[in-house]
Amino acid sequence: MNDTLAPPAGSEPESVKLIYHFLCWASFWLIVGTMYGLLAAIKLYWPEAVEYSVFSFGRIRPIHTTIVFFGWSSMALMGLTLFVVARTSKIPLQAPKAAWIGLQLWNVCLLMGLITLSLGISNGPQEYREVIAPIATFYAVGLILIFYSCYQTVAKRAIPEIYISNWYILGAFSWMTILSITAYLPFYQDGMGNVIIQGYYMHVGVGLWFTPLVLGITYYALPRLLGKPIYSYALGVLGFWTNLLFYTLIGAHHYIFSPVPWWLQTTAILFSVGMMVPVWSGSGNFFLTARGSWHKVRRSYAIIFLLTGIWGYALVSTQGTIEAFRSANIYWHFTNFTVGHSHLAMYGFISFAIWGAIYGLLPRITGNELSEGAIGLHFWLAFVGGSVYVISISAAGILQGASWVAGESFIASVDAAKPMWLWRSIGGLMMVASHIVFIVNLWNMRPKRDADLLAKVVAV
Amino acid sequence: MSLETNHKLLIATSSTVFFILTLTVAILPAFEAQKTEPLPGIEVVEPDSLIAKGRALYLKEGCGTCHTQFLRDLPVDAPYGRGSLAGDYALESPPLLGTQRTGPDLSNVGVRQPSDVWNLIHLYNPRVVVASSVMPAYPWYFEEKIEAAENDVVVSVPDRYKPPGTVIVATPDALSLVAYLQSLKQIEVAP
Repeated sequence: MNDTLAPPAGSEPESVKLIYHFLCWASFWLIVGTMYGLLAAIKLYWPEAVEYSVFSFGRIRPIHTTIVFFGWSSMALMGLTLFVVARTSKIPLQAPKAAWIGLQLWNVCLLMGLITLSLGISNGPQEYREVIAPIATFYAVGLILIFYSCYQTVAKRAIPEIYISNWYILGAFSWMTILSITAYLPFYQDGMGNVIIQGYYMHVGVGLWFTPLVLGITYYALPRLLGKPIYSYALGVLGFWTNLLFYTLIGAHHYIFSPVPWWLQTTAILFSVGMMVPVWSGSGNFFLTARGSWHKVRRSYAIIFLLTGIWGYALVSTQGTIEAFRSANIYWHFTNFTVGHSHLAMYGFISFAIWGAIYGLLPRITGNELSEGAIGLHFWLAFVGGSVYVISISAAGILQGASWVAGESFIASVDAAKPMWLWRSIGGLMMVASHIVFIVNLWNMRPKRDADLLAKVVAV
Repeated sequence: MSLETNHKLLIATSSTVFFILTLTVAILPAFEAQKTEPLPGIEVVEPDSLIAKGRALYLKEGCGTCHTQFLRDLPVDAPYGRGSLAGDYALESPPLLGTQRTGPDLSNVGVRQPSDVWNLIHLYNPRVVVASSVMPAYPWYFEEKIEAAENDVVVSVPDRYKPPGTVIVATPDALSLVAYLQSLKQIEVAP
């Protein structure tokens, strides 16, 4: 693999500034989104807290998910992809203006979304598509603009092959475009039609947007940080196609035992098992790449972040397969176990991988290195906080499910979960603290002034 | 010409595969599913009715974040009603099946909890009637008055749950929300 010797495409001062802006805005939304999450967590323990309509639980829960999905995760991933497409195509980022406009459109949409959802103007509880269609339309325009910039960069690449990262990245942008349009077109969404689209949308959003973006970035970042080629290119290609085939088919597993057609539920369960192929071919590929490099892993929290994210990927996907079974559904569905699962995915997998890539790649293009201690503080706060969160909320889910199966009165399941909800808030508080450390770290990685930066890049 | 070297072919192939799968498991089944006839006996909710206004508030407040309207045909769900059928949702847009049950399922709550008085107190402050409830209170759908007017609906909230010397009066919004909750009754079907 020649990428480790690549010239610094993507490190031009203009590109660095653009990427840094993406990451700064993503971090801003991370703080907003997690503050909403923390408030929601506190309210489950102390329902009278901040008793204003705009901060009511039913309104802030979708605000939390919307902002961490579209503000933090998507924006950070798109910022990183702008670097990866340029570097792996060995040319400067093309059409950076388009990406810039796309970023600002997303910021406007997020702000509008925050305001409308606070006021209760929404599509109702249709997870991750609560934001009304006029705002969603501008999201789609922004998405296509950023896609255009990535596409042009890969299209004009200086080498004949499309590096595996760009398979995943181009795929993610095309799938997300189709997915968003499918989710918002109204023609087939009356009655149960809406539910079928809902299951498809909320699952494919994670599986064919966040997952391939993270994998694409990791296929560049991990070999780069370890200074060695990826273990197997073929496994990467296998993962690409099987992820596409299997992940798209499993959305209905959110509606097991529902009036969604039985064949669709069974298909979803079957391919949830099939998901083990892309998951373990992807994560296995990364672990085999890291094998034998523990001396490097030990010294770099960036790599530790990245590998923890990969572990999160393997773990959460295997858990998801088990949850899809009808027998597991009886005990776990509707409980907080699902909340634990989604945080393991969006935090333990997606966010940890994002941080690994930022800490690993950003200093190389801004010229500002961090101390390992600063990254380590972020890592341990996030890791312990995230673990406390996921373990306690999953325990709450198991207790709720056990209470329902035992046939107790409903409030008994609330009482059973309450102590766990306190622990969940404590974990959430540590997560917020880690994000504040991250903001400080991000500031300390800001781009050096153009002249210094150029000198540094040339020296490297 | 191969996928490794042709970006147009790569995007075209992966998008086409995705679109065909989307048609197969989402769009076509959704078209088919929305043809389901409503269960015989389900009443059509008039757009300007109290119930329709209440449903809009239910959406606005995100009640579906914690309350499902979706029962599985399983013993664990049986205390809350019968298993949900496609025909239950045929007239609903959007239907409110939900994925979280921090609070109980409401598919049949109009039968389980028909009382006006209980529902109004519960919306004003759930902890008045269920001590360890974690449901949000909705005081913004009530007015605190020194004295109730002639046609006011007074909510009998115990003194320690309201400001001293006030009476709690339900707004039209609170009444419509309660009307909606009372309307949630499963249609009986032959087993």
